[in-house]
Amino acid sequence: MGGSGRPPSPPGVRHAPGDPGRSSISRISRARSWWPGPRLVSLVVGGGAAVLVLYPIAYLIQASLSVGDPQARPPEAYGLDNFAGLPRYAHIFGNTLLVAGVATILAVVVGFAMGWILSRTNVPGRAAFEQLMAMPYYVTPLMGALAWALIGSASSGFVNQLWRALGGSGHLIDINTPGGIAWVMALFEGSVAFVMIGAVMKSMDPAMEEASQVLGAGRLRTMLRITLPLVLPGVLGAAVFVFAEMLGSFSAALVLGLPARFYVVTTAMYQLVSQYPPRFPTAAAMGVSLFALMFAMVWIYRRIIRSGTYVTITGKAFRPRVMDVGPLRWPLLALCVVYLGVAVVLPVLTIAYASFQRLTTVFPRADNFTWANYQTALSLDAVRSALANSLILGFATASIGVVLMGFLSWLIYRSRLPGAGAIEYLLMFPQAVPRLVFAFGMLWAWLVFPIPIYGTLWLLLIAYLTVFLPLGIRTISGVILQIDRSLEESAQMCGATWGYRLRTVTMPLLKPGLVAAWLLLFIASVRELGASILLMGPKAKVITPAIVESWFSTSSELTAALALLQTLAVAVALAVLFAVARRAVQAGGE
Amino acid sequence: MITRRRFLRTGALTATAVPFAMRPFLASAQPRATKVLDFQTGADVAKAEQEGEVVYYGHDGEAGIAVLLDAFKKDFPKIKTSYVRLQTGALYAKITAERSAGRFGVDVLQLSDISPAVDFQKKGGWEQYPSPEYAAYKPEYQSTPAGYYGVPGVSFAGISYHRAKVKPEQAPKTWKDIVNPAFKDGISAKLATSGMQHAQWYILRKMYGNDFWQEFAKLRPKGFDARAQLFDRLAKGEDRICALAEYAGYTLYQEKGAEIEFVAPPEGMPAIAIYIGVVNKAPHPQAARLFVDWAMSRRGQQIYQNQKILLYGSVRPDVGPMPTGKKLSDFKLLFPTDWNDYVASHATFVKEWNALMGL
Amino acid sequence: MARAASVARVSIEVRDLVVRYGSVLAVRGVTFTVGAGEHLTLLGPSGCGKTTTLRAIAGLERPTSGEIRIGGSPVFASSPSVNVPAERRGLSMVFQSYAIWPHMTVFDNVAYGLRVRRRPEAEVKARVSEALDLVQLGDLGARSASRLSGGQQQRVALARAFVFSPSVLLFDEPLSNLDAKLRAEMRVELKELQRRLDITSVYVTHDLEEALAISDRIVVMRDGAIEQVGTPLEIYDRPRNTFVADFVGSANLIRGRRRPDLERDGLVVIETSGGALVHGAASDLPAGPEALMAVRTVRLRLERTRPATAVNAWPARIRQRVFQGDFTQYHVDWEGRQLIVRSAAPEPMAEGDEVFVSAEPRHCVLLEE
Repeated sequence: MGGSGRPPSPPGVRHAPGDPGRSSISRISRARSWWPGPRLVSLVVGGGAAVLVLYPIAYLIQASLSVGDPQARPPEAYGLDNFAGLPRYAHIFGNTLLVAGVATILAVVVGFAMGWILSRTNVPGRAAFEQLMAMPYYVTPLMGALAWALIGSASSGFVNQLWRALGGSGHLIDINTPGGIAWVMALFEGSVAFVMIGAVMKSMDPAMEEASQVLGAGRLRTMLRITLPLVLPGVLGAAVFVFAEMLGSFSAALVLGLPARFYVVTTAMYQLVSQYPPRFPTAAAMGVSLFALMFAMVWIYRRIIRSGTYVTITGKAFRPRVMDVGPLRWPLLALCVVYLGVAVVLPVLTIAYASFQRLTTVFPRADNFTWANYQTALSLDAVRSALANSLILGFATASIGVVLMGFLSWLIYRSRLPGAGAIEYLLMFPQAVPRLVFAFGMLWAWLVFPIPIYGTLWLLLIAYLTVFLPLGIRTISGVILQIDRSLEESAQMCGATWGYRLRTVTMPLLKPGLVAAWLLLFIASVRELGASILLMGPKAKVITPAIVESWFSTSSELTAALALLQTLAVAVALAVLFAVARRAVQAGGE
Repeated sequence: MITRRRFLRTGALTATAVPFAMRPFLASAQPRATKVLDFQTGADVAKAEQEGEVVYYGHDGEAGIAVLLDAFKKDFPKIKTSYVRLQTGALYAKITAERSAGRFGVDVLQLSDISPAVDFQKKGGWEQYPSPEYAAYKPEYQSTPAGYYGVPGVSFAGISYHRAKVKPEQAPKTWKDIVNPAFKDGISAKLATSGMQHAQWYILRKMYGNDFWQEFAKLRPKGFDARAQLFDRLAKGEDRICALAEYAGYTLYQEKGAEIEFVAPPEGMPAIAIYIGVVNKAPHPQAARLFVDWAMSRRGQQIYQNQKILLYGSVRPDVGPMPTGKKLSDFKLLFPTDWNDYVASHATFVKEWNALMGL
Repeated sequence: MARAASVARVSIEVRDLVVRYGSVLAVRGVTFTVGAGEHLTLLGPSGCGKTTTLRAIAGLERPTSGEIRIGGSPVFASSPSVNVPAERRGLSMVFQSYAIWPHMTVFDNVAYGLRVRRRPEAEVKARVSEALDLVQLGDLGARSASRLSGGQQQRVALARAFVFSPSVLLFDEPLSNLDAKLRAEMRVELKELQRRLDITSVYVTHDLEEALAISDRIVVMRDGAIEQVGTPLEIYDRPRNTFVADFVGSANLIRGRRRPDLERDGLVVIETSGGALVHGAASDLPAGPEALMAVRTVRLRLERTRPATAVNAWPARIRQRVFQGDFTQYHVDWEGRQLIVRSAAPEPMAEGDEVFVSAEPRHCVLLEE
């Protein structure tokens, strides 16, 4: 090649900071970069996040140990009396376990069936269905509960009205039962199970199934004796995780349980602190017990994950072999359609139908239809300001959350700084605490905080960021772990400092994951109920608790109108954001 | 018969036992009354409009509060309104928690139970503001000493049932009928957070003995937060009979075309007064005073009474009859006699009623 | 592109390096030096600690104890504690997986190191196109890096590594993901590149041929320790012990009794159990009763008639013949055991033939045990 086309750099020239160039190493190693080291930033951010999580929990525990005057703050005396008094509520704990257990079984069965159908069989339209499987998550458990209350109430539920019209007597289904609650919980909170189990299915090496079939085993036998045992650890892990979430479920039990005198721990706590005099210590003791139980579940789940013999999502993506199920395709397709119909289409249609009536019934007379519900809804302060607040809050939570949780994910899984493991453990805490319980601790904790954020949207923002930490970190770290470490190391070897690397290599590669996390956080914060219901203030109303309040203090038709308005607003916001996101992902390159 | 008069007088006597030291120093001079619109106010209207906002904590349903605040806004467009709506028990729990942590963000408080109202007075929560509009009320409808809170309305409840779901021979006629085993799993009432429910519990207990409610418990009644919910379910036939059917709720739903009947038992109907007052250390003190004056004035009382969704019977003599044509005196209302006992019974009530409702 | 004279090439010193992962000792006290401008290879089977050592030099692993100096200055020392972060050591590295960033173009990938150093864009453009030309990817600058073949990615990784003129280049098995033919081609290109760039380099591989082809010196490692250091020829012709003999090319190991009494002309002699005498190259190993000698399979000759040499010629019989294309491998019965002989001779011997096996004494090496 040609001679020295570039001028050699004179030996004495100082290069930019971080440029070893050709100067001596000693000069480099003593060079001080102005950018704060990763350790410092990690300490601040990680420590801050840890405080965010532990502060309310500390107050929760303090409240649970408070004996003496329940109103006194700080507690007059400490003792275990509150816990000693818990056996009185044994039936409530029993209810909680029952409902959570049934819901988990249902969710896992649905998740497994859907997961298998959509990733291992040749049912047509699989790709489309997989996208649609996320929809129940967007319908939100509250909306699902409201809709199913309208569909399945013993007397006035649509199904029962139809049943009686067809000549039946009494009622066909009663949604205000533990079974009904579990059904709604499984339908709307079980899509998590589908995602987790589906992922397990996809990461299975198809060669194992092929080996079975080559040796002569039929499809069903292969499924039962090869596929099932291999995915069993993954399924178990998902089951434990879903169970932990169900323990903390609030919306379905609130809407469907109260009318049936059926309390679970979360709704009982809500009742206890809503009365006068409020029984904070008892509620706190209940909360701590639930927390302990969920914590144990999450610990078990993590043990299963780490056991190593477990098929996880690795960087390698197998191409799962699809089984030809022949004529079975059509019934299986029908199953998927039915699931989506029951979980998405039916609730939305029901709510819409009810919102246009004066007194909801399946066979309305012509004069029963009215716009009045929407008129009232739009005139209510609750709707206008709450919707706006929810959207703003959703936007803020998602945007700040993505940055915060992105950094924390990097910190935990990539930085190899000391204490990363402890931080990971700490930040997953909120997963083991039901939102309501957490909000309770926050209420107690932030009331006394000198900065006046109580009753404002700021408090809600902090609450959301805290309770969504596990969600965001889980999503983003899933993507981070797929980025080969060597991509960052090679940047390091090219001389990039940690900040430069983060910006030019890690973040762009994370973009799809960050976008996904953003959307998840947005939806989660708009649909949030358990924490918001305790922490709202007069000027900091958000839409989901407003819908619940409406359910309890106005008519179901008005509530239906509100719920539909919320769904529409979120759908519109999402559509806009999807369009923006798709362009952003494309612009960022592959 | 227990009259309102006797009830409130005993309440007044007991309230004076409040230790003086617990009350913060208050301006005791009678404020200068000025006329605004068609009522008297002790507030500085100009300053109130400068403050520009009033924060209202109340127990009515969302729609009810909306109607109330909209009416105020129409009269005073420069003053924004914001509110928190919770059932009385929860509402009081919230405001006391906030205040005990040093947060004072509420201007006006309205409660539907005397116990928290008196407790609030004990804690120095109300500001002693002698509204000029209190002059139109009999002393038994005011706090003692006067000026802490007033009574913007009275609500009472009978029994209501779904025509098609209850056989004519089972139709309830007296209070004793609500423990009829035929109504098992089909009867509703309110939760322990309700002031009205406390009143009914107390009064019927006195009337029929402690076992009365044990019998009621055997029916596995369902408890709810608001009368809108009670009537919603009743109208749809989800419940067959409602044991605490507020007259106002019945009126509203009957107009919607629900197939429900209202029964005013001959023993009388448990009644409660609702209480409103300016909150001490309010962030917008002048606006708060203006609001209370407005609420207690004839103008405001017409809203409380004549808006179908509120329909509280007014105790102000110069407000006309309720939209149904009836006046409060047309009904036989029952108030608790021994006020001390009533307040003291609250803790027992909550415990018993929670257990009754499955908690 | 000759290296300008003012550019310094630096040396690397590794002293008593110990790297521990939990309870596993990956590198156990390794010491070696890389001279300025030298090309050193760390060679060994997987798990021998060569990659760990390389990454320790790079700064991507933190050793437990020891010292690493680059250009005379310590970049890592356990006492007094020094640990210069990888990005400031002035090194560069080519990764086994290439680690090309898929979200950038080829140009941006290569330009990365220069942009980190805030070079003016004009200079960046010039140097990057030069580097791409050097690796024969001159016209691929604008292509998205996610659409490259394995070989192309490898070249991009190379270009990216040397474009900013680092003082040291580290290679972590860069060719092991390529197929055999491509690997052979790249080997030659790499050597040419090294010659042109003329910078110190440390190379890690488990592939013997690669190591022999491109190194000035080789460090053979096993289980975290060094077995032998030497030039390719030294390693090949005079392995120190069984492991090296066996790892670096194929060898026959002959055990026998040391016969110092028969030593002449500086040659060592061992006597096999069957009485055959094997003369080997002079060695300063202390004389023990038992000795082990290695003879490379390609250094054994098969002839139909007894060769004229005086020593190291023995009768044998061909037991098996395996045709391997470039050579034929014979398994020969000798002294009650088998010898393996690789021969490129044109006319093959047949199985069962009686032949003579011979080897020059200088190709028979006494091994340490």
